[in-house]
Amino acid sequence: MIDLKNIEIGHKSVLFKIDDLQLVKGKMYALIGANGSGKTTFLQSITGINKPLKGEVMVFDNSISKLNRIEKAKTISFVGSKFDGIDYLKVKDYIALGRTPYTNALGRLDETDLKVVNETIELLQLDHLKNKFTTELSDGERQLAAIARAITQQTEIIILDEPTAFLDYANRKKVMELMKKISIELNKCVIVSSHDLELCLESEIDLLVVSKKASVLKLYEANSLSKIELIEIGF
Amino acid sequence: MNSKNKNKILIIILVILLPIIAGIHLFSGTISIHFSDFYSALTHFDSENTNHIIVKNLRFPRLVMGIIAGGGLSIAGLLMQTLFNNPLAGPDILGLNSGSSLFVAFSLMTGIPFFNSDFGTIMSALLGAFAFGLVILAFSMVVKSHVSLLLIGIMLGSFTGAFVSILQSLSNPEDLKMFIMWAMGSLQQVEFSQLPIIILFFISGTLSCLFVVKSLDALVLGESQALLLGIKVKYIRIILIAITAILTGLITAFCGPIAFVGLAVPNLVKILFKTQSHRTLLIGCLLTGSVFLLICDIFVQLLESTIHIPINALTSIIGAPFVVVIVLKRLA
Repeated sequence: MIDLKNIEIGHKSVLFKIDDLQLVKGKMYALIGANGSGKTTFLQSITGINKPLKGEVMVFDNSISKLNRIEKAKTISFVGSKFDGIDYLKVKDYIALGRTPYTNALGRLDETDLKVVNETIELLQLDHLKNKFTTELSDGERQLAAIARAITQQTEIIILDEPTAFLDYANRKKVMELMKKISIELNKCVIVSSHDLELCLESEIDLLVVSKKASVLKLYEANSLSKIELIEIGF
Repeated sequence: MNSKNKNKILIIILVILLPIIAGIHLFSGTISIHFSDFYSALTHFDSENTNHIIVKNLRFPRLVMGIIAGGGLSIAGLLMQTLFNNPLAGPDILGLNSGSSLFVAFSLMTGIPFFNSDFGTIMSALLGAFAFGLVILAFSMVVKSHVSLLLIGIMLGSFTGAFVSILQSLSNPEDLKMFIMWAMGSLQQVEFSQLPIIILFFISGTLSCLFVVKSLDALVLGESQALLLGIKVKYIRIILIAITAILTGLITAFCGPIAFVGLAVPNLVKILFKTQSHRTLLIGCLLTGSVFLLICDIFVQLLESTIHIPINALTSIIGAPFVVVIVLKRLA
């Protein structure tokens, strides 16, 4: 569903190239690379915030830059590395903001919207948190709320930029397992950038590695690399 | 569910409170006027009757201006706070008021008749606020720190203030007097005949908020996330500045600069309603702002026989400490 052919990623100079990659639904990919290797720039190219220096990111045979705002918002959702919480914003209202591309001009939630929100809350077991303010949650709970918001957006692609960076081990593990489960059960294409090599290997997911020497992004299937090999390629 | 009902009750309380406060406002003043005079002044106006003149030319326009200025400035403040993601933003602190002041001062002192008309004054105040709003918006793209942006707004205000002083020293005494009266801030500068155009601008400014409610809710998450949720962020930013300019410009043109309402009321409303739903916040700001400014003006009127306090001074006396409390609460 995401087709990447002859693409050059970078800001002013080329950071890395992609020869030919297909990312599919029902799978989760971990994006791995050294600091400054261009991971964030790559994710921004997929969300359409930045254009690749060369080539185009194709989603369902359409160039991402050709999609209008609403189509894009219904195709790709994004979770940042940290959600600090917002004063007086309740968890359920925050999650419901994921419905923004679907609601009418006034932003009113209809029955379908409410159903999606409630199902997501149930799926992520956030029922006990839904009436709390986002500022009252722990970092781990807030990250789950951010993921829930992305899921209510009902996009085929979910992108997470270092979602585990500020979490403890238990929460990091929980987030990765949850995203893997979501990719399989909800049939989504999930891309997670991460510095946590052990966690990515343990999670048994496909790896997208920016190779240090060749400056190329390559796909390695789950369990095909050892930690030492991974370090050698990427760092 | 519980909090939604609580907010409904709060709005109902405010809806009941507003006419009560408005009633008290009408009756407060140095001359006491009987209830029947209010009714007859508006239905069968008698130009010989002093009470009728007071009601129609003084009390009634003052009440309407109080409601419009309180509600309008509070809504403008809320829009700025959401746009810049900064609870301490407001049309006054970001320099939109000073933009209006500069343009009005300039237009009043040019002596061109158009600028002395109601429409001319509104337009220059509105353009001033819009121009300065765009300047601040441009700065906000470069300056990412909240505090720095506020400082730039304050500097913009001081910078403009200097120009206004220069204009004052150059102008003839009559224009100067007119400008100084205006700059003191008062709800009493409006005449009955000017109300229709003021109300028209106010209603168009307030109703335009309906078009941006959804975007405001999403903007709370920050501009980049709002963009990914399908909001036309670039376009909405300009619309928000335009609505703020209409409301701020209109009110500044007719009441002079009124400080702290736009800053303090939206924060008070968020504390009362505990929500980020802008549908609720906008209604809350409209009602709370009106009630707040009318109460301030009732005090101004009660004290008028002994001492004349400009409304601008009273809103600052109440507003400034409240803002300090908000800052302290954020640091804690």
